[in-house]
This record gives sequence, structure tokens and C-alpha cells, in this order.
Amino acid sequence: MRILVVEDEPTLRAQLAEALAAAGYAVDRADNGIDAHFLGDTEPFDAVVLDLGLPRLDGLTVLRRWRTAGRRMPVLILTARDGWHEKVTGIDAGADDYLAKPFHMEELLARVRALIRRAGGHASAELRCGPLALDTRSGRVAVDGRALSLTAHEYRVLAYLMHHAGEIVSRGALTEHIYAQDFDRDSNTVEVFIARLRKKLPPDLIETVRGLGYRLSPPP
Amino acid sequence: MNAPPRVGASLRLRLLAGTLVWVALSVAVAGWGLGRLFRDHVGAQLDAMLVLHLDQLAAGLAVDDAGRPTLKAPPADPRLARPYAGLYWQIDRIPASADGVGVLRSRSLWDAALRAPDDALADGAIHRHRVAGPDSATLLLVERGVRLNENDDSAWRLLVAADEKLLAEPLARFDGALWLALGILALGLAAAAAVQVGAGLAPLRALRTALARVRGGEAQRLHGEFPQELMPLVDEFNSVLAHNAEVVERARTQAGNLAHALKTPLAVLANAAEGRDDALARLVAEQVAGARRQVDWHLARAQAAAGRRSGARAPLAPLVDGLLRAMRRLHAERSLDLAARPLPAALAFAGDAQDLQEMLGNLLDNACKWAATRVEVAAGGDGEHLIITVDDDGAGLAAERRDEVLRRGVRADERVPGSGLGLAIVDDLARLYGGEVTLADSPLGGLRARLRLPAAPSPAGR
Repeated sequence: MRILVVEDEPTLRAQLAEALAAAGYAVDRADNGIDAHFLGDTEPFDAVVLDLGLPRLDGLTVLRRWRTAGRRMPVLILTARDGWHEKVTGIDAGADDYLAKPFHMEELLARVRALIRRAGGHASAELRCGPLALDTRSGRVAVDGRALSLTAHEYRVLAYLMHHAGEIVSRGALTEHIYAQDFDRDSNTVEVFIARLRKKLPPDLIETVRGLGYRLSPPP
Repeated sequence: MNAPPRVGASLRLRLLAGTLVWVALSVAVAGWGLGRLFRDHVGAQLDAMLVLHLDQLAAGLAVDDAGRPTLKAPPADPRLARPYAGLYWQIDRIPASADGVGVLRSRSLWDAALRAPDDALADGAIHRHRVAGPDSATLLLVERGVRLNENDDSAWRLLVAADEKLLAEPLARFDGALWLALGILALGLAAAAAVQVGAGLAPLRALRTALARVRGGEAQRLHGEFPQELMPLVDEFNSVLAHNAEVVERARTQAGNLAHALKTPLAVLANAAEGRDDALARLVAEQVAGARRQVDWHLARAQAAAGRRSGARAPLAPLVDGLLRAMRRLHAERSLDLAARPLPAALAFAGDAQDLQEMLGNLLDNACKWAATRVEVAAGGDGEHLIITVDDDGAGLAAERRDEVLRRGVRADERVPGSGLGLAIVDDLARLYGGEVTLADSPLGGLRARLRLPAAPSPAGR
């Protein structure tokens, strides 16, 4: 799961990135509207945390441009301006949620989780696939109730597959969603993570679809 | 304190009164002058007639052999033949003697005689007198002396007189016609003045209508065509309106900037303290929460336009629609049934749209937080007030806590964690507008918030 954090205040941006990374997300950052718009327009994010008062291009304009261009990723507006006038304007511009500063980091994480989950069409905070269960709130994975220990990257790969359970996920898509942009990507490492996951998970849960990618599906 | 403007005499009254006084004065002077002119004219005519008769008498006078005067051709005017008809002639002998008075006289004199004052008449000179006549009338009398024979020392005094009443009748007729005509003229002028004043004041009525539109919130400034003389007033007023709007807007922007400037560092502080469990972290968290409440409370007040902007009008329905869209998104997690009864399109709040949005947003948000499955919005009005109710089917609120929730201000000793200021801000804003918010049991089972606000008149209703 890859998240874009757009915030011009450096300390807050660092805090947000740190907290989101600790929750298992790959995090990209932008400190102005132009960069934010470019990133959101070109990279596949699973969610965006967007400040409104941005230098160079304000957040609402960035959001409207994304939506006009057909970018549908969930966007959480994080702003100090929390009048209902601003909230309605933000929602009408295409935001999916609105959080006023100052905020509790726990609440922000919960809302981001919920946004990603709803975007994938999942109603519950706990995703299931056969014997596999992933609690998005705690980031814990269990097989038949038995907790599984995963590295950060393994968790991201598995979480993305579980959010898209039953769908074919290309290697490229996996790479794009588990690494931030400034990370040195190598799609071969995805194969390494898949191999490790297969060892830890019940057999045949992750299926390789030749030439297309991977698919997570419950055993028949 | 500003004293309220005093009501002076109406412009219409001033203009009309001025015009009417002027018309009455002119008509009176004209009437008096014309009457005078006519009187002189009629008087001159009568005088000419008397002199004519006198000349005829002089021409017709002869003396017979016995020394008695005779008239060869008495004047023909029939009034001279009818007794006391008002026109008389008489011939006296000079020098005056008792039997020399009225040696010849008109039939109209009957048994009376004309008594002219004694005076010496040069030959041919005509004298005029006012004398008492028969029937206690006042007579206008002309007289002249005539000497028929240069060698004879006998002379004759010819008198012709007319009753003043002969003048009175045509004068009365003329006066009647004159004053009737002048009266009609005065009425016509007064009517014309009234019409003119009405037409002249019409732009003021247009101005008043335009002002009413601004006050009713239908227009942001005075629109329409106004005469040159009113334009400075209209321009001044429009610039006051623009200035007002600008002041509110600037206050909002500044408040928003302040919010941004304060809350971002607060967020940084709160996040830095979060996740650590020591005395400093707890202190920071507590103070950040307190500071946030203070900022929220005072910003809500600072941003309110209430009382600073007249003539605002905010239609209710579109605001509720926008807020419901936002609520569905913000509370998507809870998949609530958010319903608004069809709101009458004419319902409008006599105040600022953002203030109404703030009040309704807080009420709806509160209802959505506590509702189990359903939130309902309804609105109505009695012309003067707008009543909006927001119902939820949550657990409700105990009656004794309702007041506390509404009056929850920013007292320093208040440390109730997580207690939102939403309802208190609604209460505060509603009071600024002279309205109120009340909490009651909802028919849905939860809490009902009832917001009463001043209503703006519907544009069609005027």
C-alpha cells in the first residue's frame, strides 16, 4: 500500500511519513502543490493525505485536477481550516474524508485504513481470504488464528494482494504499490518476497498467472 | 449612541404646499388685478355714456320766447323714461333759485330732483360728483353749465346722473365668471403640481424598492437606473455595501490564516507528544487540547458574519444538500440513512450563508456521530422564523445534560476530554442572530435539535 503525504510544514510532514511508514505503508512526500499534482497524476497511490494550504498550487485545485483527469484514489484532506463551508467545498472537490488539525495520529491512521479498505470494496476492517486473516487496524496477519510474523515488505505485498483478492495483480503494480518513488526499485525483489510469503503461507494461496502476475485466492 | 434619524415633513408635502401657496397667491393677485381693470373699464364706459347724454341735452336745449327752457330732442335711452330706473337728467337755471331747480327733468326722476353741490361752472367745463339720489341710491353725477345766448345772462346747469347699481350688476357677473375661471385654473395647477411631485419622487420609490431588495438579500448592491441627482447617494450606498462585504471577507480570511498558523504547530506538538508516556508528553497533550478548544471557539465567533452584514439571504435547500453530501462521505463508515424531507425552495435564512452552514453542519455532524442508523432533517417556517429540526435515532441525551452541552463554553476549568464544542458553537451563533437552539427527545428515539432563526422574506412574496 503506497501513500502520498502532501504537507508543507516539514516537521508535520516528517511525523506523518514516519507514522504511516510504521503502520506498514510505503510513503511518498510532497511539500508543494505542483509536485503533489505531478506525483498523484503519474504514480499509483492507494491513498493521499492532502493539506490544503500549499505553496505554488493550493490543495483544492490539485484535488480538482486529479479528479478531472480521472484519478480516483481516496484522498483525505488534512487542514487547519475546518469550517463546514471548507468541508463541503473539499468534499465537493472530490475528497473522501476531512480531518482537522490538530489531530490524533491514531485517528488519521484509522481513517486512512478505512479509506483504502472502502476503495477496495471491503466493508470490514479485517480482510479474510480462506484461512488467511489480515487485521488492517493492527497490521497483524494470522493463518487459522495463528499469528504470522512478516517483514515490512512482505506485509506490504501480502496486504496489497489481500485488498485485491481474486484479482490478477501484475508484478509492476506490486512494485509500484510497495515502494515509495525514491526507492531503488527492482521488480525481481518482488519475486523474492512472493517466494518468502509462499513459504510462510499455506500452499497454493498465491497463484502465479503466467505472463500476467499473481493472484491471491482462497483454496477451493 | 446614534440618535435615530428624525422624521421631517414629507418631501411630497413640502413640494405640494409650496406649489399650492404660490398658486393661491398668483390666482388671488390675478383676480384682484383683473377685477380692478374691469371696474375701471366699466366705470369709464358709464362716464362716457353720461357725458354723451349731457352733450345731447346741451345740443337739444332751447329757450322759448317766454324764457322757458325746452328740449327739442330729449335723450332716447328708455331708462330715462322709467321712474327711478337709475338714469336721470335734469336742467337747472343759473343763478340758482328755489324754483330754478329742475326746470326740466327726465321722467325717471318722477317727483325727485337731483341735488348737485353748489359750484361755479365755467362754460363748457364738466364736473363729476357723487351725490345722494332718490331711493337712497348713490348717484354718479356729471354736470356742465350752458349759456345759450351770449347777451343773455341766464344760464343753464345740465345734470345727468346714473345709479351706481348700474355698475354693480355687470361687475358682479364679471366677478362670478372671473373667480370661477380662476378657481378652475387653481385646481388644474394644483392637480398638475401633484402629478409633477409624484413623477419627480418616483425615483425615490425606485430607490426604496432597490434598498428593500438589498435588505431582503435578493441583491448585493443597488441596481437600476437613477436620476443624476440620486446617483451620488446610490454610489455611496453601494460602496458602503461593498465595504461591509469586504470587512466580513477580510475577517474570515484573517481568521482562517490564524487557524492555519496556530493549528499546524499544535498538530506538530500533539504528534510529538503522542506515543510517549511521561509527564511532559501528558502536559503537552493536555495543553494542546485546551488550546485547540480556545482556537475553535474564538475562531467560530470571529468568522461569524452575524450582525456585521445587513441584508443577507441564504436559501436553505442548497446548503442542506451540500451538507448531506459531505455527511454521507464523512460518515461513510457508518452507512447511515440520511434523509431530508423535501425542503420548501422558498425557505431562506436572513443571515450569512456560511454562518447557517456552520450551525447546520455542527447539528448534522453531531446527529451522525450519535445516530444508530438514521438521521432526519426537516424545515419549515412561519414567515418570520425558520425552524429546522435534526433528528437521530441514537441513545439521546439525558434532559439534565442538554443545557450543559449547549452552554459549554471555554471555561478554563473545563477539561472534559473529547467533548466537542459543536453544539455550543451552534447555540452561540444562533443567539448572535436572535435565534436559539433547543434539544428535545426525538420521535426517532434519539435526540432532536431544533434550530430557530430569522427567516428571509421570499422574493415572490413581495
